[in-house]
Amino acid sequence: MPGITYYDLRHVTGQITHIDIDNGICESAGTTFFNKAVLRVISKSGWGILQIDNYQPCTGRKFDELLQKACALSAITQEPVNLGDVSRGVLAVPAMKEDPRLVSIEEKSAILSEIEKGAIHPSVVNRRANYIERVEQVGFFDSSGNEYAYEMCRSGFNVLAVASRNDNTQMGYEREHSIDGFNLRHHLGLGKKAAGIAVALLDAKSAHGGKLKAILDPELAGVFAHEAVGHASEGDLIQEGNSVLKDKTGQKIGNDRLTIVDDPGLPEFGFDPVDSEGVAVRRTEIIKNGVVNAFLHNRESLAAVGNGIAGHARGMAGEPPLVRMSNTFIEAGDATDHEIFEECKNGIFLKGSRGGQVDPGRGVFQFNAEYGYLVKNGECTGMVRDVSLSGDILTTLHNIALCGKNRKMSPGYCGKGGQSVPVSDGAPTILLCDAVVGGSGMD
Amino acid sequence: MRWWAAVEWIDQIIKKGLKSVDEVEIFYVEGRSISADLKQKKINLASASEDCGLGIRTIHKGRIGSSSTNDPGHWSECLDAAIASGHLATPLPWEGLPVAQDISQTPLTFDPLMKVEPASALALLEQMLAGSEEHTAEVTAGSAGLSTSTVTLANSSGVHYTDSHTGVSLSLEAIHKQSTGYEFDHSSFMNKVNPFHVGERASFFAHESAGGKEIPTGNYEILLSPLAYAELLGSVFIPALNGRNVHAGRSRFAKSIGEQVSVPLLSMYDDPLLQGADGSVSWDAEGMPTHRIDFIRDGVLEAFAYDLKTAYRYGKTSTASAVRGGYGGSPGIGHHNFVVDGKRSSIADERAVYVHSVVGAHTANPMSGEFSVELSNAFWMEGGEFEEPIRSAMLSGNVFSLHNEIIGMSQKSRSIGSLILPSVRINKQHIIGK
Repeated sequence: MPGITYYDLRHVTGQITHIDIDNGICESAGTTFFNKAVLRVISKSGWGILQIDNYQPCTGRKFDELLQKACALSAITQEPVNLGDVSRGVLAVPAMKEDPRLVSIEEKSAILSEIEKGAIHPSVVNRRANYIERVEQVGFFDSSGNEYAYEMCRSGFNVLAVASRNDNTQMGYEREHSIDGFNLRHHLGLGKKAAGIAVALLDAKSAHGGKLKAILDPELAGVFAHEAVGHASEGDLIQEGNSVLKDKTGQKIGNDRLTIVDDPGLPEFGFDPVDSEGVAVRRTEIIKNGVVNAFLHNRESLAAVGNGIAGHARGMAGEPPLVRMSNTFIEAGDATDHEIFEECKNGIFLKGSRGGQVDPGRGVFQFNAEYGYLVKNGECTGMVRDVSLSGDILTTLHNIALCGKNRKMSPGYCGKGGQSVPVSDGAPTILLCDAVVGGSGMD
Repeated sequence: MRWWAAVEWIDQIIKKGLKSVDEVEIFYVEGRSISADLKQKKINLASASEDCGLGIRTIHKGRIGSSSTNDPGHWSECLDAAIASGHLATPLPWEGLPVAQDISQTPLTFDPLMKVEPASALALLEQMLAGSEEHTAEVTAGSAGLSTSTVTLANSSGVHYTDSHTGVSLSLEAIHKQSTGYEFDHSSFMNKVNPFHVGERASFFAHESAGGKEIPTGNYEILLSPLAYAELLGSVFIPALNGRNVHAGRSRFAKSIGEQVSVPLLSMYDDPLLQGADGSVSWDAEGMPTHRIDFIRDGVLEAFAYDLKTAYRYGKTSTASAVRGGYGGSPGIGHHNFVVDGKRSSIADERAVYVHSVVGAHTANPMSGEFSVELSNAFWMEGGEFEEPIRSAMLSGNVFSLHNEIIGMSQKSRSIGSLILPSVRINKQHIIGK
């Protein structure tokens, strides 16, 4: 078609099944359906993008009409877009141990209810459990003849316990989400665990703010990697000039043993068999032995910026893909837990995550632990709550003094540009020196 | 499918549904939008979307079922899925969907002059870029979007309401050295956004924040901008006014009706009929006629927000606070135009730490209210002027208890999403320097 140098279409159909149990009552349960597509064209000047609800696959004149509509949009764009050369290939979607679709919603609801009942405790005033299962059929083709299709299912659950005493209200929150198939079985203890944390937090103290040594458990250290390094290495931000890692390729920003990776091909919650532009996914070592090594790219940012690997374009159904993380982690090191606590001596041990946020241009990030323990003479002592950490991207990585031996990944969702995508973050237990800890505790 | 064609099958869904269930509710939304994004100073992409969605809710002997689809042609499967989902729900006390009332059908958030076209987005971006030239900073990204939608709500008790909305939103990001600035605006009405000002403020904050100095750890009087205040209020305080959270044990305010929960100078209310405000509606997502709700009057907690389901369950009255995030799922409790109001004064005269926004507000503890966030675009402010910038620091505190330390509210309010609020001056807040 005249004027169009490239197009691609990504079509996603599927269904979402959910169950919501609140204090023993099934508030809602059921299934919804969706059908969305996004058509992207590049004209002489830039991208024209058509987001289509309820897309009916078409060819010939009907498809040409869609192309024309998208092309007309690009008339106001002002800068030619180049796409980098990339490798192709689609990974097999890992087989599920048990297909959730073969389990009746009544059975799912009964198991979820058992998990929720596990949180019953005299001090717990609210229990809530949610199950979510999302099945997607994804189809893609582009003007270069690339084409793929796959089906994927993600499922999991959350359980929340709220404990209250006098004016003090605290919560414990546990979650399991995976691509391995139906995962409600064998997790009956998580309701009880959430309740235990909520109740214990009633007696925890607020942390004192200040600079101290912090031991981060694998979940929190994973969020640290995601916020402190992952976002700032996204090629679109580098291209816009909105990242402190711009022009830092080859510079050392962490110690020799520190390697931070994003790998969409890892069979974890952020797995993608192929990216949203039809590019083969590859392990990308963002930081290698402490040096800024490779940025995460889509085809456009690869061509504009270089110094990295494409295959990191991800989009929600019907949305234009952006450069995103998938499974992001700090590689395991060689320290034992004993060595980490000994080296810490006096500080704080932080567990779990309530998420975080980063301003990649300024190079400042913040993330939050669910709870922690004060460390005195290498031993965990009193429990503390509501602990945040903040830091500077370009200096904090030097402060990772030790990395433990065992890496563990934790599932979650990451937001950017109004889109939320499944990710996993992970790390071994790490020791962070000079951590800036926020807390409202006072002497 | 156009909405007038939808009327026919809406009746069919209700008719067919009533063969199996006591009541049926249909929510149908159809809209289109245009947006354009900047990469630095050039428009990199323009996109358009056409959306439609059908949500069906069924009620049978107190069991509520729901389903949704964006393929209204398959409404029959969607209805079956809604009815099936109702079989799983625990039966609850239910006294019926609202009957049709004589509610104004004049849209409150529709601008007939808004042109949802690429040219409109282009003009907005150009004006933002012109504004950004006022200060030395590099534009990194920006966006302008326009949308229009029509919402139809119908039920088996005769409700059949239609409303139309328009919206315009814009944002710009800028950087100067290692200092970033961000500004945005949104409205239902084209003449209520100021793209030049958005551009000017984004580059102002990027430029003015550069070269910031450290601040020693300590307690300070602070000024939270409407944006920073909204970030903290929205993630913690407002959910505690939700009747569902109150009765489920998830609100700190559960036993506080009639008590002083903030300083007396402050009031909070939802005013769904506020002229020119983005969230204005005459009927809520369940078809209940909307009205003002005074949550906090002169510091005293007076009311919580209810939808029908929660009201029936706990023997309360719906406050017409049902909202939908889209067509999917069931309606939930929210607000329309949440206003923080009270006695206004000049609050920026005496020296204080001004906080434009914060990083990580969503990590605040929604139950206890405790938070520790990183400051963004913080300055020393005196005599109403931005003095020296503060490089980096954390602010720690409790969203609930800081409402007992508010000592003043700015003359002007600003609309941030569905919140309308002033800057607030607060006593004794803990800042952790680096």
